[in-house]
Order: sequence, then structure tokens, then C-alpha cells
Amino acid sequence: MPSATTSGAVPIETAHEDMIHDAQLDYYGKRLATCSSDRTVKVFDVVDGEASKSSPGHTLKGHTGPVWQVAWAHPKFGHILASCSYDGKVLIWKEEGQGPAGGWVKSKEHTLHTASVNSVSWAPHELGAILACASSDGKLSVLTFKDEGQWGADIFNGHAIGCNAVSWAPATQPGSLIQPSTAIPGQPSTQSPSVKRFASAGCDNLVKIWGYRDDTQSWVEEETLEGHTDWVRDVAWAPNIGLPRSYIATASQDKTVVIWTKDTPAAPWVKTTLDPSTASTSPSPAAPGKFPDVVWRVSWSLAGNILAVSCGDGKVTLWKENLRGNWECVSDMAS
Amino acid sequence: MNVTGHLGLFPPLVPPGHAGDFLQSGRVLLSTTSPLNDTLAVFAAANVPGVQSSQHTAVYSSDDQPIFFASSEVTPSSERRLFIGDTSIIFAALQNLTNTARARGPEWLQNEEGQRMIRKLAMDYINFTKECWIHASQAPSQPEGSPQFSDDHYRSLYACLSLFAVLYVPEYGFEDAPVGDDLMEWLNIHFIEPSTEEGDHLSGLERPWQDETFWPYLLRATLRGLSKAATFFIGTLSRHSSADLRRLSGQVSPLLSSQPRLQNFSTERDFAYASHRWKDKIKTLRIEMDGVPEADRQDEFDNWWDRLSDLIGILEGRGEVIQKVCEDLGADWKEVCVAWGVFTDTRLRRQDLPDIVARILEEMPPDPTNPEDMMHAALFNGDPARALIHAAHIDPWLGAHLADMMEVLSLIEIEANEESGLSLRNHYVLSYAQYLHSDPALWRITVAYMFSCGEIGIRSADEVLARVPMGLRRTGDKLIGSGEKTTEGTSNLTDLARVVKDVNATCYEYQREEVRRVVCRIAAQIFVQEKEYGLALSYCSSAEDWPGLGRVVDRVLEEYIDAGPDQFTHYVASIAPSLQAVRTQPGAQGIFIHRLIFAVRYAEFHQRLKNQDLYDAAADLMSMFQEDLVPKSWWGAILCEAVTLIQHNAVLLFSYASACILLQRLEEVFTRADQGSGDDYLRVLMAKSKGSTLQDALTRLQATRLALAKYFARCAMIGTGGKQIAERRFSVGV
Repeated sequence: MPSATTSGAVPIETAHEDMIHDAQLDYYGKRLATCSSDRTVKVFDVVDGEASKSSPGHTLKGHTGPVWQVAWAHPKFGHILASCSYDGKVLIWKEEGQGPAGGWVKSKEHTLHTASVNSVSWAPHELGAILACASSDGKLSVLTFKDEGQWGADIFNGHAIGCNAVSWAPATQPGSLIQPSTAIPGQPSTQSPSVKRFASAGCDNLVKIWGYRDDTQSWVEEETLEGHTDWVRDVAWAPNIGLPRSYIATASQDKTVVIWTKDTPAAPWVKTTLDPSTASTSPSPAAPGKFPDVVWRVSWSLAGNILAVSCGDGKVTLWKENLRGNWECVSDMAS
Repeated sequence: MNVTGHLGLFPPLVPPGHAGDFLQSGRVLLSTTSPLNDTLAVFAAANVPGVQSSQHTAVYSSDDQPIFFASSEVTPSSERRLFIGDTSIIFAALQNLTNTARARGPEWLQNEEGQRMIRKLAMDYINFTKECWIHASQAPSQPEGSPQFSDDHYRSLYACLSLFAVLYVPEYGFEDAPVGDDLMEWLNIHFIEPSTEEGDHLSGLERPWQDETFWPYLLRATLRGLSKAATFFIGTLSRHSSADLRRLSGQVSPLLSSQPRLQNFSTERDFAYASHRWKDKIKTLRIEMDGVPEADRQDEFDNWWDRLSDLIGILEGRGEVIQKVCEDLGADWKEVCVAWGVFTDTRLRRQDLPDIVARILEEMPPDPTNPEDMMHAALFNGDPARALIHAAHIDPWLGAHLADMMEVLSLIEIEANEESGLSLRNHYVLSYAQYLHSDPALWRITVAYMFSCGEIGIRSADEVLARVPMGLRRTGDKLIGSGEKTTEGTSNLTDLARVVKDVNATCYEYQREEVRRVVCRIAAQIFVQEKEYGLALSYCSSAEDWPGLGRVVDRVLEEYIDAGPDQFTHYVASIAPSLQAVRTQPGAQGIFIHRLIFAVRYAEFHQRLKNQDLYDAAADLMSMFQEDLVPKSWWGAILCEAVTLIQHNAVLLFSYASACILLQRLEEVFTRADQGSGDDYLRVLMAKSKGSTLQDALTRLQATRLALAKYFARCAMIGTGGKQIAERRFSVGV
């Protein structure tokens, strides 16, 4: 069996007038949203790894600065897209019907931040339509969609010098008693208790974990993960894959990627640094445990077993935990 | 570190040799994984969020800002899909078997019935791979084109599975029988030697022993137990010039064809006895051979005596001779091992095989670059877990199905690995399922494998199930369902409904109620967007999503505001049938059902107006108010619509009491509007006449007030108070 194939398909030409900053596939992998320094967001239909020939991409205009990130909401809430920009705004876009502009309309403008908003992330759908945002103004905000078409917003200090990224914990906490899906049709649903929790990455070299307190109706800093020696660029909380363990991956300006694991809800977070030094394809890096350059992005696969790491050396590496609990690079991809 | 896959983009994002420029331009390669099939979308991005990036564009600009898709899996196609589908049925049967075993106790699998069934399923796998091999080898001439995997790939699967069955899934009762003959049969089926062509060539010769291939052919045929071919060519030596050789070959012939075979004996004891007697005859022959003087051992081409001695050596079962002959013939360790079981130790047991094999492998190691050879060696060597590593390398299909059988047969560790939380079996089965996930159309099979893998498998399956493609794309004016690879135009909303129904059924089957509800909610969203309100409603109710149901009804009511009564009644016709079902559903929340009832009654009202069935229309209007079905936001609109009924000249349609109720409602609207809550009562009325203000709406309601005043006057004039109507219609309600 071939172990890897390159894409023979024609790449999607986004026709952005300036550099792309982010691209995200929707829940079904059928649509691609991109955003760029040209201040627009675009949405394409994807068919077999190519842009749909029958439907043109749609351009969503509304930001007044470079757009850093886009995020798709769960489809049970409808076709909803969030974007954040240097202009300090978070826009929520909604597709309604099939108008000339693809039916995309701006349904909410979140303007509470006073500087660039660098990252947006939707909470697990079980918690409702909730969006977390990280801004260079040092604040984090959480937008909550209410049933009647209204949005509520919480905003609070996150990382003093600036917040770079946010990522939600899975709705059911690993290690809480694993509950079989016991709901039966015709009976009220017996959902496992869900937790509202997310991690943020900051310019203070820290990763912080925030939890929502129902009694005080507020977000509380629960834990701080210390270990990086420079800005933390990205954070990714792994989906709950059925193990009693939680995983968080962080990428930093200090050229390291750290996997934080927590064996039980009460256990401390344990830090493991990915070691690319033995990777045969990597040109001799500066030091063991360090990537050749700044690490910009980390993201987990759907099944939570593969971590994609984007490094400033122009490579994307894929990492997997082997049977001995060590992290190995299983694949790499170069430009 | 073990980097197994290196992906390059094609066409290249950056021209070869320009990677440095790319990096200096301040760009970085980012990726995002597709939930559809685990492909990666890869793109170049500016690497400094938080600051303006205009300086980068000056350094490096690309017109297209392209995004690539790359995958580490090859999506199954053509014959491979058939193979996957067919073998998944056998997998399901084995699952049933293990489930039965769970119910009946683990020892059930060890008894005759269980063992026979496991063997039967192993044979089924073997037969399917064999079929697929034959199919693939004929494929180039077939209309559907060349297969995705070569015939050699399926041959390899066929050989590996067959060997596994010979060694680990013997017939019930034969576990402890000598294994030599079975192994020889396997070797002769899968690694044919010597070739038919060589035999044909030699048999056409007058003096075949003069051909250089003669002795190698004869030795190979002997080594493989092919007594007919060996006897035939030994027979040709009766024309040889050497009298010794003529005599000796005449004695070898009957020995070759009379070698005792286990299958011809009813007891192993008889077989062992016959083997012993036969070996004695070989010994006699050897003594006779040794009597041939050194000088007579050579003919004009060869030292025939040495060659014949090798042949007799094989029959004697001399290990060193067998190994030497194999090395000379270019045969590998397999041939030595198998010959050992047929000639050297005819009573060789399965459990004794690893000792012999280990010794042979030390001197004749398997080919490390050939996973199939490594896999065979591990199986021969009694190391199933190692065999799995190589099997998965050959094909994740093989790894998964072998691991599945191995666990049932207790050949591998059942406990989960502490780090990964996966048992060996689950590890390999999940790897295969993830490969299957590269083809979204195979979702049913994908989840079937995942659901057999404990909690981790269930979580993975949930994600796949929740994402079975059911979005719709628009192509011009046509809707294209994208659930499966169907031809354009043939699929539509019906297809979407079919996909949702399928997913629902699968969720029921595996008892994944939470996932089922999520899928129903998403389906409801899509149906609302397509204005299929009836289906949307039934999926909301199936998901027990009562607020969602309320929102669907709101959307239908909005149709009235946007498109008018005709369109509205049309849409309500599609949701009305659900009403009865929803009302009887336990747990249904009243407020949302209430709204649905209103929509249905309101549509009936409009239908009657349209049909000029004014008595009943008036009665509907009153009962909606009296039963408190009308949402406040609709009061203004409905009171406005009442004007035509109130003003009807021919007869009085409302009782005096009813007219009073209307007046009360009207006054409440005016009073609330005075208090600043006019919006609550007049929202729909304002929305209906687009752009109208609160004041406009109140002005319109004045018309109702005036009409009511006149109505009361008419009632007074008739002096009946409209009671005759009331008695007919409203005696109960008033």
C-alpha cells in the first residue's frame, strides 16, 4: 500500500487579493471558508478536493482590516460563520436562503474589543451556540446566542499583553464516569453533565484554562500552564476520544510544541515536549525538543489521534502517540 | 523517529528550489483537516497575526492564494469497494459469533460448534480473496477498467490468510495432527515450483538428463512431493547409458509414488508405521547406491550419482541436504521448513514448528524488504502479534481481519494497552476503519468496524455518523444531494431524507440516541432552509427538540407575513399531519405545541375565508381567541383581518358576546400601546404591511374598532343581540 499520496486535484484558487490567514472546512468538509488581508471572507463549495465548478465562491465583505481567522458553527444552528479581524471586530455571518451573494448576511457585529481580535472558536455544540474570542487588547470574550435571536457577551481580562488563541474543552470531560448513551426515543434525553471550559494562549508565555461558574454566572481562571519561554501562538484542546485522559497541545514562539495531559479530572497537567530532533527529514535543529523555527499552529484530527503542527520552516508535520506513549512524527508535508 | 510518509504538493505551491524565498516572504504552510475524509487542506498563509501584513505582500505575491488537498490514504475504488463490502459481511458474521459467545459463555467458542463456525468464516475470507485475485487478474480485459490493487496484491492476501488458516485454524479435531502435508499443499498452491513450462520443455526431449534443467527440475518436484512428475522423469532414466543409474532409478520410482500421506490413513499410528516401513526401503536404496563404484558415478554430462544422492537425501529427510538443495535451487526458508515437515519429521506438530523454523530462519532469514515474506515467517514462527505488524503493512484490511480472528482464537493479548486504551485487535480494526473513512460513501461499513472497538471506537463512530454528508448544493436551479456519489440530477431532497433515514436506522441499531438527535436537528435545519416544513417538523419532534419545533412553526407563520395566506395554507398543509403525532408524544412541551396548533387553526381559518365559508371562518376566529391560541404578536393582525367578517352585510356572523370579546381584545391592544408595549401586539401587523410604523398599525386597527361599533349598532337594531347565531354556534363557548 502506498503510505502517502499527493493531491492530483486542481488546487482551489481563492482569488484573494492579499495573503490568506486562515482556511477552515465546515462540519461536513463540503465547504471551505477563507480569510485574508484583503479584508474579505470567502466561502467555496468543495467537491472531491476541488472547488465546485457549478457554484462560484461567495465573498463576504464587512471587515475593515485583515481577517485573521474564520470558524464554522455546528450545522444544527444553521449555516453560521464567525470571523475576526485586525479591525477589532468579530462578525457573525449567516446564510439565509439563496440570494445573489450566496445568501450570506452579517447577523451580528461584536465590537467590545479595542484591538485586533486574533482568534475565534465555537464551543462544542452540546453547550449551545457559544463563541470564544481572543484579542490583542488582552481580553477574552464569550458570545452566547440566545433563542430569540439575541446575543449575550461576557468579556474579561485574559493575558495582559495580548491573547493569541482560544480552544474549547470537549463538552463531556474525559475521566468523568463514561456514560453510555442511555436516552431512548420517547423519553427525555439523559445527557451527561457538560462543562463550559476553554483554554487560551497568550503573549505572557502562558496557557490559561477558564471555566464557567453557573452560580456566579461568570468565567473563572481555573488553571495556568507554565512552561513556554516565549509567546504561545496557538492552543488546541483535543476532542474526547474515549480515553480517561485530557490532551491540550500548544505551539509557541519559543520553537516548541507541548502536549499537556491530565490523567484524571483531579490530576495535575503533565507536560511533554514534542521532539523533532530525531526526525530524519528535519535539518539539524538548534536543540533537542526544538523545532527549526517558530511553531504557529497546532490542530487535532477529528478522532483526536493525530496532531498537525505548522512550523515556520514551511513544513506541516503530523504527530501520533505510539503504543508506548511516545509522540512520533508520522508524516510531513512541505510546500 | 519513524517518519513513514512524506507528502509533496503537486502542482508545487512553491517552485522547486525556492523554498527559501517562500520562508523569507513571511509565509508559513498551514493545514486544516477535512471531517469528511481526513484529507488535509493545505495553504500558504501570512505568519504574523496581530500586525498588519502589507510588508509581506511586497516581498512575495501570489495571484491565486491557492489551497491544496492532500491525503495519506488512497480512497477505495472499483474492485476494492466490492471487496470491502463483501468481506464486511463476514466480519459482521464473526461479530455475531463473538456476541453469541458472550451470551453463552466463553467456552462455547472452544467447543466443536464454535470452532467449526470460526473455521468456516476463515474459509470465507480465503475464498473471497481468492475470487478477488482471479477477478483482478482478468481485469485488464474487463469493461470497468483496471483494478485499484493489482492481482498480486490479492494473491498476497490469499496466501497470507491461507497460511494463517493452515497453522492456526485447523479443522476441528485436527489441531494436534501432523501439519506437514497441509503446509506442502499451501506451498504448492501459492508458490508454484517447478514451472509447467520447464516440465513441458523436458518432456519433449529425447534424452532429458542431458538438459541442464533436468536434475534441478527433478529435485524440486521431489522436494515439493510432486510424485507424478518426479516419477515420470525418473522413468526417463531407464534409457540412460549407465546400468547402475537405470537400475537405481527403477527402484526410486515406486518409492516416490508410494510415500505414505497422512490423508490416506485412518489413524496416525498406521501412518507412522507405514512411514517407518517406507523409510526402511529408502535406507536399503542408500546402501545400494553407496555400492556404486566411484568411477561409475559420472556420465558424460554430470555426476548423476551426486544428484541422485541429493534426491535420496531429501527422501531420507536429511536436513542439511534439504537446505543445500534449496539454496542451490534458489528456494527460500519456506521450502526448507515445509520439506522438514514432509520428509524429516513427518509427525511434526503445529506447536513444534516454531523450534524448527527458528533454527532454519537463523541460517536462511526472510527478506526484510518483503512484508509478505516477513509475515509468513512470523506465522511459521508462532508469533501472531508480529505477523499483524507486517499484515497491516501489506494492507490495513489484512491487519484488521486477522487481528479480529486472532482475538477470537485467543492468539493475541486481549487487554487494552495502558497508553492508547486499545487492545491489539481494536488498534488494527480502528486503523482499517480510519482508512475506510477516506471514502465517505462507505460510512455504514466504517461505523460497523468502529462500533466493534470499545469506547474509543464508539466515539469515533459517533463523529462519523454525525457527519454523514447530507448537505445540499445548488447547481443552477437544481438541488443536488451530496450524500452519496449519485449522478447529477437524480438526487434531490428525497435523497437527503433517505440519508437521514439511513443514519437514523444505524443510530437505532447501535443505540446512539444522542447522535441520532443531533443528526435530526441538522436535518431539520436543512429542511427549514428548503421550506420543507413538514419534514423539518417531524425531525424536530424526532429529536425531541421542542424549541426547534417552535422555530419551524415561526418560520411557517413568517411565510404568511412574507407571501400571504395562499402560500401559508399550502405550507401548513405539510405540517398539519404532524400535529396529532406530536400532541401524543410524551415530553412534548406545551408552549411550542400550542404555537403549532395556532398555525394549523389559522390556516384553516384562511381556507374557509377563501372558500367563502364565512360562518365557520368567524367561528374559527373566535375559538382561536377563546382558547388563547393566538400569540400576542398576532392579535393586531388578526383583529385587522376580522374587519371583513364584521362588516359582512348579508348576515351577522358573530354573536353579541363574541363581538364583545373582539372588542375587549381590541381595547387591550390600544391600552397596551398607550403603555408603550404596542410592539408586542402589533409586530406581525407591522411586518405584514412592510415599513409601517406603530402608529400606522394603530390607525388600521381603528377601522376594526369602527366596524365593531357599527356591528353593535346592527345587533341593537335587529334587537336580537345576534343570539340566534350564538345559539347555533357558540352556546357552549359564550
